[in-house]
Amino acid sequence: MKQPKYNYRSESTLQFYEFISEGPKGLIKKMVIYTETTTENVYNLGFGDYDESTNGINDLSVTNNGDSLKVLATVASTVYAFTEKYPNAWILATGSTIIRTRLYRMGITNNLAEIETDFIVLGYSKNEEWEKFLVGEDYEAFLLTKKENKN
Amino acid sequence: MTVEQTIEKLNKSKVPIIVIDKKLERFRGQNLFPEKLKRANEILAKTGLPKLPTK
Repeated sequence: MKQPKYNYRSESTLQFYEFISEGPKGLIKKMVIYTETTTENVYNLGFGDYDESTNGINDLSVTNNGDSLKVLATVASTVYAFTEKYPNAWILATGSTIIRTRLYRMGITNNLAEIETDFIVLGYSKNEEWEKFLVGEDYEAFLLTKKENKN
Repeated sequence: MTVEQTIEKLNKSKVPIIVIDKKLERFRGQNLFPEKLKRANEILAKTGLPKLPTK
């Protein structure tokens, strides 16, 4: 992505990513995780703060570390890494809250021109249908896949 | 190439250099986003995947 992003770590399946957000609130470990859904080739994208005390992910937290654009660009870049290994994958993302869903929408909007050179981006509308992602529209979920994929 | 130029180049690349960390393997098999995954599966069950135009 053209925007600055954090370097990150992953493991051999490239389904788990970890990076450190740096800002006025300190160093915060973030994780991006791609989980298989019940539909073949469709993966759920989960993203949140790693909680050392529970060894889990808090996807409700609002960190306010002053680096949301950089964090979103980092999450977006994991999509490129993930789809390099799983080129036929579809990635579905739902926000845990309305605020988090808007954050995802902002991330897509800010990087849309670049993302659309490589991916088809869709939003899940209030009519419970997938439609081409439109800037400014509200969506409950987002779906993307490489342009090469046709079903 | 200076360090700044190298970082700038890395920042502009779509697929970054990824450091492999075996410690992350401990998350395999865990459902860390149960509510999100449940909702994703509900959406897929109800609506499925969109039909995309053929090439």
